Amino acid sequence: MNVQVETPQETAVLALPPEVVKLAIKDLNFFYGQKQSLFDVSVSFGANAVTALIGPSGCGKSTLLRTLNRIYSLYPGQKATGQVLLDGEDVLGSRVNVAALRARIGMVFQKPTPFPMSIFDNVAYGVRLYEKLGKADLANRVEDSLRRAALWDEVKDKLKESGLSLSGGQQQRLCVARGIAVKPEVLLLDEPASALDPISTARLEETIAELKRDYTIVIVTHNMGQAARLSDHTGFMYLGKLVEFGETEQLFTNPVTTRARDYITGRFG
Amino acid sequence: MTTATGPRLSRRINELVFLAFCWTATAIAILFLAAILWSLLSQGVGGLDLNIFTKSTPAPGSEGGLINAILGSLMMCVVAMIGAVFVGILAGTWLSEYARDSHYGKVIRFLNDVLLSAPSILVGLFVYEILVAPVKGFSGLAGAVALGLLAAPVITRTTEDVLRLQPTALREASVALGAPVWRTILAVIWKSARGGMLTGALLAFARISGETAPLLFTALNNQFLSFDLTKPTANLPVVIFNFALSAYDDWRRLAWAGALLIAATVLTVTIVARILAREPRRS
Repeated sequence: MNVQVETPQETAVLALPPEVVKLAIKDLNFFYGQKQSLFDVSVSFGANAVTALIGPSGCGKSTLLRTLNRIYSLYPGQKATGQVLLDGEDVLGSRVNVAALRARIGMVFQKPTPFPMSIFDNVAYGVRLYEKLGKADLANRVEDSLRRAALWDEVKDKLKESGLSLSGGQQQRLCVARGIAVKPEVLLLDEPASALDPISTARLEETIAELKRDYTIVIVTHNMGQAARLSDHTGFMYLGKLVEFGETEQLFTNPVTTRARDYITGRFG
Repeated sequence: MTTATGPRLSRRINELVFLAFCWTATAIAILFLAAILWSLLSQGVGGLDLNIFTKSTPAPGSEGGLINAILGSLMMCVVAMIGAVFVGILAGTWLSEYARDSHYGKVIRFLNDVLLSAPSILVGLFVYEILVAPVKGFSGLAGAVALGLLAAPVITRTTEDVLRLQPTALREASVALGAPVWRTILAVIWKSARGGMLTGALLAFARISGETAPLLFTALNNQFLSFDLTKPTANLPVVIFNFALSAYDDWRRLAWAGALLIAATVLTVTIVARILAREPRRS
């Protein structure tokens, strides 16, 4: 008799077909000084799709996000090795113009970070860096961005007021508007709803679902429901490694690895 | 033998003794402050009249005012502040934004702290040696340089401190939009910290407006109204120093009035600085 015991896999990373890949990460290792916090991560993110990164605190999901636009390189002690290919071009290369790269890859942070200027100027700030638009064109761009971030109706009569005068949820949508105003190709969201109340979170999620049509979105979240609702693909990370990556539905209903299963069913994390 | 109230009672006594001690110390400090303000007001108000603002310092026995000293002080302070704000803000920005944890930054920060607590008479002597002795002439410019040297470390320090308080997320948010670091500093970080930076500058101004020692070596004094900073320049602290020690009642009255003017200026500037530092910030 031959009894087959199914041994769960250690890791399972779904490879996307090359034609849908926008961002491809290959053998990525990351170091905070001496301490390594990402280990040989290889994964691809699809164009016009939402990819969620989940995992317990400290698993490296935010670190992974911060390598994609090289924001980590602000800090001398931090270093990444491997490749991050945006449309096939390595963004970790030493010749890359990081400022121009960051204009292609937008980022929204955990806490709302409105600049100390008017709502209009907040949105126009990034646009003015790279484009010389006429007054009317700039105003159109600002309005369009605020509309897409579902904030226009709430602020259209007070564009000259300080961005700091908005509520937390509005501030976060302002940051989204600011991010998309520069017309990036990729949008990175680092726990964008963690400081928001449920109603603001719901509105932000609607915005993200809406934005998917035009952008490649990668979202780090602690909220599993949010990952399940929003994303097409999900990656589960643990201790600096990408343990499982696949279609969101499949990962949440039938994870292949034990770790992912334990995490999703609430056994740990 | 201990009762239930024993330890509790001794704790309350300790508390009361400590509180009484704090109150006494505070009262002593306030008492001296009040005494100083009282003598300033009671002796200074009498000397305040229109002449103060229209006439120059007189010879003993004749009528006069302080306008030459007021304007001289103002000119030197303004020139000093222009230089000190320029240097201090750039140095503070460098320390906070570019050299935060670098070895070089630590050395500069330490040296700035040394300069911050250097006795002002040393600064005066230093400027005397490099700007007065070689040309064999006291000048308002030398005075302004001495005052600027005293103000710059204060501004450097306060600028660095307020810039460090700005959230990292704000810097990252600007950089993440593709802004270079220098632009992030100019357009976002300075803007966000401007209240605190202005407060630092005002406090530096308050500090130098009453400095006497460095001016004795540099600007000296001038009996006449003069706008020429290459010549010896009258100023309130040195006039007070000279007049207060004189034997003439009218000179002493002018000295008190000048002291009152400086105290009032410093008080006003400090209050404005406080208000600016409390700038409402909604988040």
